[in-house]
Amino acid sequence: MMDYVDLVFLIMGISALSSVLFTFLTVKTKDLMYAVVFSSVQSVAYALIYFLLLAPDIVLVYVAVSVGIYPLIIILLIKKVGRYEVVT
Amino acid sequence: MDIELIKFMFMLTTISLYFNVAISLYGVVSKTNLVKKLIALTIFQDTVNMFTILIGYKLWRPGLLLQPPVLTDLSPTSETLREFVERSVDPLPQAFVLTAVVIGLAVTLFLTTIILHVSYHFKTVNVDEIGRSKRVYIHEEAV
Amino acid sequence: MLRDLVFASLLIIIILALTYLTYSGGLGDLPPRDVRVIASNYLNLTYNQGITWLWAASPEAVTAIVWDYRGLDTLFETVVFYGAILAALTLFRSVSKVPEFVSSAGLSLVVKRVTAIVTLAILAVAASTALHGHLTPGGGFQGGAIASVAPLLLLVVFGKQFFIERRISYSKLLTIRNASLALLGFTSVALLILGFLTGFQAYIFQNQAKIVSTLSYPPYLLDVPLGGSLFFFNLFEFLAVASGFTLVFTILLSRDETLRKELEGEELGY
Repeated sequence: MMDYVDLVFLIMGISALSSVLFTFLTVKTKDLMYAVVFSSVQSVAYALIYFLLLAPDIVLVYVAVSVGIYPLIIILLIKKVGRYEVVT
Repeated sequence: MDIELIKFMFMLTTISLYFNVAISLYGVVSKTNLVKKLIALTIFQDTVNMFTILIGYKLWRPGLLLQPPVLTDLSPTSETLREFVERSVDPLPQAFVLTAVVIGLAVTLFLTTIILHVSYHFKTVNVDEIGRSKRVYIHEEAV
Repeated sequence: MLRDLVFASLLIIIILALTYLTYSGGLGDLPPRDVRVIASNYLNLTYNQGITWLWAASPEAVTAIVWDYRGLDTLFETVVFYGAILAALTLFRSVSKVPEFVSSAGLSLVVKRVTAIVTLAILAVAASTALHGHLTPGGGFQGGAIASVAPLLLLVVFGKQFFIERRISYSKLLTIRNASLALLGFTSVALLILGFLTGFQAYIFQNQAKIVSTLSYPPYLLDVPLGGSLFFFNLFEFLAVASGFTLVFTILLSRDETLRKELEGEELGY
């Protein structure tokens, strides 16, 4: 039956595939608030892959920066600049 | 423990990272909104860091449990140290990525202040309209 | 429109070519069979009590590589980080001189009480991560990035009035940042200065005693490994990173009118 080691790598493959899906949704959407949320979900998938690749230092920096600071800064920017992407 | 499944999953991770690079590069070049370019640029930086750490991994073998590069024994004998060296993954790429993440954050903060300045001056963040109005400025100054 | 299509098709062709090459073994064995020789050398030397003229006195290999074995790379990285924050502060330099009087009440009572408890927890976790950087995964950068979330949260929930009342002003944060960076530079050349004064030989970024020089930082604190200069590097980098990010956040969270004042005379001179 499936061993513990096989399960670890299976989770790694599934997280990588789901990160491709969320990256595509980030680039395609026209509402910038949705883009920020999709980018955060993609960062969570990346943090899971970093953890499974046995790099605990990187996980600490990456989660604080990419799920905590980037979305806040970009939401501030959206508030001052405009929420929807206008395509002429 | 199925070595073929492990190698296939690792290859799948590498190939999906190639797709991530392609999609985020397309987002940086072809989208006309400055904020969307910024978001796609951060995704591109994260994917390149992930490549660097993928290289430092090691192949599992039956009877060899991998461990992160942290020694847990505070007074190791030479036996423990030799096992640690055999089992641990590569610490050098992790040291490089650590500084790269912090530098990426600082550059993104700088780009945010630039976007604010540009939006106050030109009253838009669409790259095509900025190009058009700059042409009008230059034409007016020449006349 | 045509430009987008050309670029997209070019990217697809390159991705397919790279996928085929990787699948048929172009990058070698994936994952690699063994780590490189230089990595096994660093892992062998970082806490080896039998070879005390080449060790780094910390059981954490990544921190030893970042601050001891490749310390000059980290020095230049700190310079780049300093320059980027400096550029971001220069673009809005008139905001720091205008005193703002805001009368904001912040968010509701429930959010305020919960934030007050959570902020203490964030600061405790950040300090623990930064100061234990030589024993567990962690270090200066990680602790600084975690600790810069706390003032951001306070600014959003309590309003800018919170900082103005407690006189956490712009120049105080700038002082903390410059002082910790200066102390960081001093820690890296401290043993060199000591060597000049006493006549022994020493190196820049020296951590422990080498063959030709006998000066070193203390490797143990009572019975726990201290890591020598790694502990001080982590502490000062934590303060520098946290205060640097807080400075940029206090500028970005100002009001629109204050930020637009920066561009006041531009119609006359563009």
